[in-house]
This record gives sequence, structure tokens and C-alpha cells, in this order.
Amino acid sequence: MTVPTYAAPVAANPYRPSPARITSIIDLTPQEKLFELRLIDDAAREAFDFESGQFVELSIFGVGEAPISISSAPSKQGFIELCIRDSGDVTGAMHKKRCGDIVGLRGPFGRGFPFADMKGHDILLVAGGLGIAPLKSLINHIHDDRHEFGKVTILYGSRTPSEVLFRRQFDMWQHREDFDLILTVDQPDETWTGETGLVTKLFDKVDVDPASTYGAICGPPVMYKYVIAEMRKKAMDADRIYVSFERRMKCGIGKCGHCGVGHQYACIDGPVFNYWEAMNLQEAI
Amino acid sequence: MFFRVIPKSVIPDLVRGLAEQYEVVGPVAKGETFVYAPLADAADLRLDYDTTALPAKRWFFPESEALMRFRVSDNAVVSESLDTAPRVLFGLHPCDVNSLLLMDNVFLGETPDPYYKARRDNTLVVGVSCTPGEYCFCDAWGTDETHWGFDIFLSDIGDDYYASIRSVMGADLVDRYVPCRAITDEDTAAFQRRTAEFKAAFTNGVDTSQLPVLLDAKFDSEIWDKLGEKCLGCGACSMVCPTCYCFDVHDELDADQLGGTRVRTWDSCQFKQFAAVAHGQNFRDTRAARVKYRYYHKQWGYLSKFERVLCVGCGRCTRACKAEINPPRVVRALQTGVVD
Amino acid sequence: MAPRLVVLSLASDFGCQVQLTNMTAELLDVLGLVELSYWQLATSGHMPPDYDVAIVEGAVTTTEHVELLGRVRETAAVVIAIGACANTGGIPGIVGREDLEGRYGAVYGPGPAVATGRRAPLPLDAFIKVDYHVPGCPIDTGEFLRVLSRVLLGLSDRVPDMTMCASCKTNETVCFFDEGRLCLGLVTRAGCGARCTSLGRACTGCRGIAPDANLASAREIAVRAGVPAAAMDDALRIYNALTEVHA
Repeated sequence: MTVPTYAAPVAANPYRPSPARITSIIDLTPQEKLFELRLIDDAAREAFDFESGQFVELSIFGVGEAPISISSAPSKQGFIELCIRDSGDVTGAMHKKRCGDIVGLRGPFGRGFPFADMKGHDILLVAGGLGIAPLKSLINHIHDDRHEFGKVTILYGSRTPSEVLFRRQFDMWQHREDFDLILTVDQPDETWTGETGLVTKLFDKVDVDPASTYGAICGPPVMYKYVIAEMRKKAMDADRIYVSFERRMKCGIGKCGHCGVGHQYACIDGPVFNYWEAMNLQEAI
Repeated sequence: MFFRVIPKSVIPDLVRGLAEQYEVVGPVAKGETFVYAPLADAADLRLDYDTTALPAKRWFFPESEALMRFRVSDNAVVSESLDTAPRVLFGLHPCDVNSLLLMDNVFLGETPDPYYKARRDNTLVVGVSCTPGEYCFCDAWGTDETHWGFDIFLSDIGDDYYASIRSVMGADLVDRYVPCRAITDEDTAAFQRRTAEFKAAFTNGVDTSQLPVLLDAKFDSEIWDKLGEKCLGCGACSMVCPTCYCFDVHDELDADQLGGTRVRTWDSCQFKQFAAVAHGQNFRDTRAARVKYRYYHKQWGYLSKFERVLCVGCGRCTRACKAEINPPRVVRALQTGVVD
Repeated sequence: MAPRLVVLSLASDFGCQVQLTNMTAELLDVLGLVELSYWQLATSGHMPPDYDVAIVEGAVTTTEHVELLGRVRETAAVVIAIGACANTGGIPGIVGREDLEGRYGAVYGPGPAVATGRRAPLPLDAFIKVDYHVPGCPIDTGEFLRVLSRVLLGLSDRVPDMTMCASCKTNETVCFFDEGRLCLGLVTRAGCGARCTSLGRACTGCRGIAPDANLASAREIAVRAGVPAAAMDDALRIYNALTEVHA
């Protein structure tokens, strides 16, 4: 039996990364760098529309892909910023890249923070460690639309002063009147003048009007339970507390199964969930 | 639907006719078992098979496939093409036909998977009726019947097949290659009798009442620890499952390191690293957590999205699991609170 | 500068080095990427004093091996253990840890002069940090090349940690236990594509016991299939005598 075969070009391929050029690299800490990337194809760059809280798959051929949340604000078009910790093969390979090098991007993927719903409200953002990366996008987005929001409070905890990300910007922001920013570290050194201890300790210093406040949390998995408890103590509604989960998002389009959390997939149903949704997700918190 | 009566004796002619235009894949004997394989000869087709070692999914979603060729220097995709023969899958049982519909929900949904879609578009499906085997429990999910997802479905009514024809292609093929006739009331009566016998032959009663509730309410039950103690974590269940679709993607560099291939392979939530993230956290670190997730996702996670459970009762995992973990047993454990 | 590479053997039958010479198709490509400074089996001359990558075959069975391995670790930025002997103790490991002299005596007669400085065999991991592992008896050249790629790119060691059964299912191989026969695939590290079983030979465990293997359940499965649990433990001694999982 002879069988005809043919090779079909793959149209609209969601697995094909778009080439992007690294246009800036800033060393934030010994482990983290901030990369600015621009999609090379004009049409792809113009079509790239995202929300704070969404992520991309960073694709380095020969190494693989890794999900990275976007740190820049949707209000800034034409480029994206990724804050990347050297913690695996793809992120390690990224740390060896130089300005001008080309990598691949797929996305944006997932559901971000409900920016439109948050407008007209007070905002309480709580970050731990690298969890500041997606929240930085939200913070900058709020900044660019600052008049649309009430009181904005940012609580950010790090292990040590040298691990505080975006420290230069945050040092300046500590003096701003339109953002209440409180930094804390677990292990202070002699230079540290800010708060010490876990981020949950800072809730004593915060006044919350539960009727008009949205919360957003991102940090290491152990942090969520305790921060949510503090927000609940302030009588905030479960469906106004938003959390962003880190899972192993691999395909980004709800197929490969790696980012399952309870009955959902973090890559299409999240990674941002409100606490009511998260309460109904097994293994989430 | 459109029906015809086809004499069993003409099936080899039909296969030979199809082979002029298509690669015909069907159940053939391999040692003591059966596998879906390209038919070298129409006589190799074994429509009396019980089940195949691997399900039909590999003909749409192979165990390993190249997604694209790349160049390292500028991170460019060099080519992305797939070889897909126009193909007929001949002789799928109702469970396997239904499994394709469940796979379609994932791979043809909101963001279609172009590799799966190209093969699905290029493949005709001919189903055939069966007799419940030792491990079959498709009756539990209603996947013992199939009403779409095929081009032709052949129901055994003695010397003939009562053929349901679902597509233009199916109708064309039947008209072109086999002498057949319209159905009579007697044929339909035979079809009904045969269906009743089929339904009465199932022996693995599975009480599916309130499964989504039980999966949540008994999420912390010790039945999962008991099952975790038995589980080998080997992933055999996922490989043979016609509805397990999880995959991994990795890059294989050429020996000269200048280029390579991005490859997709089957994966399993039963493998330890499946839910581990880069910073060292593993969200399902124990075998108990992993075996629980498999059932939680199949009987509830998928259901919450697509209103069907992700199981067709084919019994392949029952056969494959040396630790004797299988849906009828796990569902019984959920109902009774005890692993028997 | 291309990384300088050395290939050397401890206690082994050189089978894995022979496998390297078998990579005819890819060898030239690979040699274009590295500077082969010393290859015990294939080059003349002595080990150079300095190199970047050391590929080590064989188990540690003498004090000389221990000293050599220490020097290798001090010199090389990357150490790759190839083959069952280097990774699990392999065949030399069958001698076990007890009554070493008695066993040498049984083979070579009383007070044998062979293997001066002999000691109970152990895999490389017992003495030095091994950066990359290529298990198997012998190694698979394709797997070796994939690991070498990862070495050259500075990627992590990623030896598969699942057991063999999924590969067998993918190959549509009938399970040996269905025929009442012993197979060590239930507990053995995957990554070879389950080649032996697809050729009708049961897995002998040459890739080592998978880190998450469920030996207790595997023994129960063997017994249910009519294979005594002791037969499984005996079979594991061929390649895994030194692995601490037999309790």
C-alpha cells in the first residue's frame, strides 16, 4: 500500500516564540536582574496587549522555556520588563545574555489583576521577596492612573536589605505622599533604617477601610495564609483580596497540565485568583 | 443520522479501497495483545480484538513529536512542519471514539493546538461495536454509546453491520467501496437487541453518585495515603489512558550545538517533578498527593470545565497498573471510605 | 577556548569508553566543540596536569582510585560519571561491603597479590561531588551526547528520576509480571527507552534504583505475580548491591 504524505506548514502556532531583543539589563541584586525586552516584529509588538499579573513564557532555544510575570505596566507600550532570578536552567541562561541578544517570548498568558474593578478604591499591596515582580506592574500602572485611586499602601518584605528589589525606586517612593510604602526585612544589617520582621507585622501600622479596599498579594507560598488572615482581620471581603500563584506554567494555554491547582489551571484560570476562588481550590493555600 | 447495512464479508474490500487514498490504521495482533498499527494487509485487521495496548491518542498526539527546528545563534525558528498522512483509524470501540471528543475539548478549544488539529482534520474514524471485557466500565460514564466523533460506526448485528454514517466523507466511502443497502425495521430491531445484550454484559458496577462532592469532602481522607503507599509513581496509567493529555516540552541540541529540535513528549502527573517549580518548591511532593490529583482532575477538574469526566471506562489503566489502583477501586474507596 | 576534556577509567571493563568510540556519526561534531586532552582508551600519552571536564568510568575499588579521584575533583570544573560502575558501584559492587578479603581469597586463593590497596567498592558519589550522571551498562551514546550538551551549556544535571514502566507502556511491551516473570523496571531509573524489555529481556536494573522507587509495593507485586520477593532482591544485587534500599 502506498501512502501519500505531505508536510504542512503550521499556521497560527501558539508554541512558536516571537523573537525579542534585550534592550536593557539592570543588576538589581546578586541573584536578580531586570531585563527590558522589545519584540522585533512590528505587528507582534503592537499586538502585545497585557494586564498586570499576566506572564510570558521566556524561550531560549537549546535550553527551554520558563514562565515569568511581567514587571512593567500595561500603560507603557512597546517593551516589557521581566525581573528574573537566576534559579534554573532558563533563568540561568538568561542571566548570561547581553544587551542586544535575542530571546523568544510567548504570551501574554493568564488572568491578571482586575484593574478596572480596582479603580475608585483604596489599594493594599503586599509583596514578599520576588513576589514584588508582578506587583511592580500593578504599582506602576496605578501610578500612571493615580487620580483614579484612593489611598495606595504597599507593604514589601524581604529577607535581607541586599535582597530588596527595585530599592532605588522604593527609597525615593518612601518620601512620596501619594503612596504609603513600608519596607521590612527579616535580617537587618547596620545600614538598614526601615522596619524589621515579617511583612504581617506591618498590618499594625495600616488603616484599612474594608468597604473600599482591594488587596493584592504575591510572595512565597508560605506567606499567603498569614497575609490573608491579616486582611480578613481588617474585615476585607474575600472576593476583594487577590493573590497571584506561582505554578509550573509550561504551555501557557491550558493543555500541558503542569500548572494544575485544584480543579483549575494557573495558566488560564489564574495566575491571579481572588481569595474566594482560592478558598475553593484544593492545594492552593 | 444516515444508516446502511453492510455485510461483514465486504470489510476487507472496504479496507483495501481506503488504502488507495489513506494510511489505514487498525487493531492488529502483537503477540498476546493487540495494538493499533498501519495495516500491511486488510486481512491483518482484527475487529474481534478486546482492547489495544495503547489507545488511539498517539495517532493525533504522538508520544514524541518534533514541534520545531531552531537555530541557537539568533534564537530563530528554522522550520515547523508536520508530516501527516491522510489516515483512517479503523475499528475504534465506543470508548476510544468518545476519548477523542474529550481530547478535542482540550486541543481544539479556545487556543487550538495546530499539531493535533492537523492530524484530526486529516483522519477519518471508523468505529466498531464491542463486547464488554473483564476490565470495561464505560457504562459508568455513558461512554458505552457514541453518537458523534466518527465518520462511520459499525454495529455488529450478526452477519452484517448496522452502519451509522456521520459525515459526507463516510457516506462517500461506503457508497464507493462496498455494496450496501438501506436499513429495515428488522435491522433496527436486531440493533436494539444487540444493544440490550451489550448493556447487560457489564460486570464492573461503578457507583458514580456525587463524585465531585466526595472528591472535595474526602480530600484529606486517609484513603489517599493508602493508595499512595501502593502507587509505584510509574505513570503507566497516564501512558495507556486515552484521555491523559499532559505533555512536556524539551529542547534537543544537534551534536554540533548550532541548532536543534524542540520536542514534545507525553508526561504524567504521577512523576515526581511534574508540579515542581524552579525555586525548589514541589506542590505535589508525595505519591499520595499525586495519585489523588489524577483522580481529582479526571473526575472533577475536567468536569468543571467541560461537563464530562475525563475517563471513558476503557479499563486500560486497570490492566496496566501493577499496584492495582484503578477507577472502579478508587471510586469504591471514595464511596465507602475504605480501600478494599 | 574549547573546554579540555579527559576520559579515564577506574574499576570497569572499559565498556562505556568503547561506547564512546561507537559514536561514529557524532564524534566529529563533538570533537569540534572540545579539546580532547586525554582518552585512556583512544589516545597515547599521559593525563595532562590541567583540564576542564573529566569523564570518569568505573567504580572506586582501591586507595589509588580514591587519590586519583580527589586530584580529578580538584582539577576539573566538571566531573561526569558514566556507566553503572561509576554511578551505583555496578558489577564491581557485587562483592559487597563485608568480608572483602574472604571474597578475594575465594577467587584468587589465600592472600592474593592482585589489586593492591583494595577496598570495598563504591560509586564516585561516595567520595566526590559528581556534577553530571550518565547511568547504564553500558551508557547510551545518545544520552551521553545530550548530557555533554548540557555540560557545555552549563545547564543542570537532569538524569530522569522516574521508573521504567511508562517507557514500556509507550513501547506497547507486555508486562513481564503479566507472564509471572520478574522485571526490575518497576523500580529502575528510566531514560534508556526500556530497550531491553522491548527486545524481550527483563530489566536488570543497570541504570540504578530510581530515587522515588516504591520497593515495598514492588515486592508485593512480585509476590502477587508468583515471584518470591527474595528473587527481586537477589536480582537487584547485580547492579545495585551498594544502594541502601534493601531494608
